[in-house]
Amino acid sequence: MRIRWSRWAPELALTPAVAITMVAFLGSMVWTIYISLTRSRRFPDYEIDWSEWGRQYARLFNDDAWLIALKNLLILGVGSTLAIGFGFILACLIDREKRGEGFFRTVFLYPLAVSLIVTGVAWRWLFDPNLGLQAFFHSIGLTWLRFDWLASGDTAIYGIILASVWQGSGFYMALMLAGLKGINTEIWSAARLDGVSTWKFYTEIVIPMMRFTFLTCAILLSLGVVKAYDIVVAMTNGGPGQSTWVPAYFTISAYWQKSNLGYASAAAVIMLLITAAVFLPMVLLTVWQQRRSGRVAA
Amino acid sequence: MSQISVTGRTAIERATTEARPVYFPRRKKGIRPRSIAILVFLTMCAAFFCVPLYVIVVTSLKTMDQIRLGEIFSLPEVWTVQPWLTAWNDACSGINCNGLKVGFVNSLAILFPSLILSLAISSVTGYALALWNVRWAGPFMFLLFMCAFVPFQIIMIPLIVLSGMLKIYGTVWGIAIVHAVLSMPLLTLIFRNYYKDIPNEIMRAAMMDSGSFWRTFFEIILPMSGNILIVVLIMQITSIWNDFLVGLTFGGLGTQPMTVILANVVITTTGEVVYNENMAAALLTAIPPLVIYFFLGKFFVQGITAGAIKG
Repeated sequence: MRIRWSRWAPELALTPAVAITMVAFLGSMVWTIYISLTRSRRFPDYEIDWSEWGRQYARLFNDDAWLIALKNLLILGVGSTLAIGFGFILACLIDREKRGEGFFRTVFLYPLAVSLIVTGVAWRWLFDPNLGLQAFFHSIGLTWLRFDWLASGDTAIYGIILASVWQGSGFYMALMLAGLKGINTEIWSAARLDGVSTWKFYTEIVIPMMRFTFLTCAILLSLGVVKAYDIVVAMTNGGPGQSTWVPAYFTISAYWQKSNLGYASAAAVIMLLITAAVFLPMVLLTVWQQRRSGRVAA
Repeated sequence: MSQISVTGRTAIERATTEARPVYFPRRKKGIRPRSIAILVFLTMCAAFFCVPLYVIVVTSLKTMDQIRLGEIFSLPEVWTVQPWLTAWNDACSGINCNGLKVGFVNSLAILFPSLILSLAISSVTGYALALWNVRWAGPFMFLLFMCAFVPFQIIMIPLIVLSGMLKIYGTVWGIAIVHAVLSMPLLTLIFRNYYKDIPNEIMRAAMMDSGSFWRTFFEIILPMSGNILIVVLIMQITSIWNDFLVGLTFGGLGTQPMTVILANVVITTTGEVVYNENMAAALLTAIPPLVIYFFLGKFFVQGITAGAIKG
């Protein structure tokens, strides 16, 4: 039952939101896609030369910096899954051993409250080759240990991964902990009585039961990775050289440093496509889940 | 042969299960070795999470002379708050050396209007979508769901152009409005999910009292929204305070938020890196959200997970 009178009030109340969606989101997206097909440089140029509409994209994929950015995105995506794994292990242990649950949860989650810029700045200091962790390890005799990852283009991206795992694990732990609590304690007792080993219990019962939690985590992680920008700026500012560029960084720099509107737009469109590729499965899954729960209810 | 091994295994299994007392996770007395192992491991992980905080705090209280010696874990020989004062009052971001206090004021000036604006728009929208009969509510929510995940870069340039036309580009208001706009889809979905569970009877009773759209909202729905309001509030405060990209893109000279000034201070230093000042600056920026986290932890967790699991 929904109400008949004062018919226009709700629709009027929705106008700001609709306007924002149409102008700031949809309109802006269309505008960026359109601009990516033009020759715009510093200022928008609304003429499309249809004979070579894809020129910005062709240039993009011939640009080494862009290819580095895509490669880094992949490395970052794969590396950051450590945060999910780590978060899951922590959640299982906390859930298992109820002692100190509040304390550990608080400690593991606090990095999330801190901005990525602060995280980056802090880890930048720990990675300082002369004064940071490396100096400490060397001073206690572990001279084979190297911790100057940010100084070299080959390893800098791993430094960023370490910092983002530090920042993000707590979040995945919180999601996993919520998922674990949703598992009925009777299942635990039943598994005990059947003598199922701990390892088997987790790999064959818990993980399959939590597949939606894992999927949510994976999708959120990938969306976060596509957006990764702050931490790169704070830790390496893209360097050494262009070794830690990511698409988000590339797009911003194409606009502000190169002041090339069309080029930046093309990069942004590719970012949108990557996001869509991650995001669409989530929508389909949600729809499917809702249908299924609807059928159960009916 | 195989049969023997199979029966053998089951026998062993049976023996172990019978030998082991039936274990109920809830009823525990004394500490088992396994518990100790778990606690030791968790403590080591906790140390991993705490080390950076410890190092930042200690470094920010040291003199540069001591920092140059290395030994990042040692306590300060001479405790000094000078780095904190310098970071607050005179740290240089580019050519301006007015410290982080400028950024702090800007961040606050961005935070409040943005909070009011985003909460007002998204709570009303969520309410209208959840409890009123709007025909295109379904497709619109799908649209919002998509917008909530769009990368900022795809709408960045047109937003810069638009805010330039509206003459708010580079102002504190501009940043505040952009935050409100960007957070609208996600917040609306959160409010909508909360309001859709309000029982029909309440809405029906409200209608009997000839409650109009707005009266129902202000007299019935809003007083019932305490929980979700605080969750969304915390979520917004931390995300606006911690934002870097919007502040960087839309902030003009003198209107940049604290995170942007922190990044400038740290990245643009030339010559010797003044680590104690940098760490003090980082801590100053991190304190407000950390305070919220430690005092309102439960709501903070609800906020981040509400933002994560929806639909």
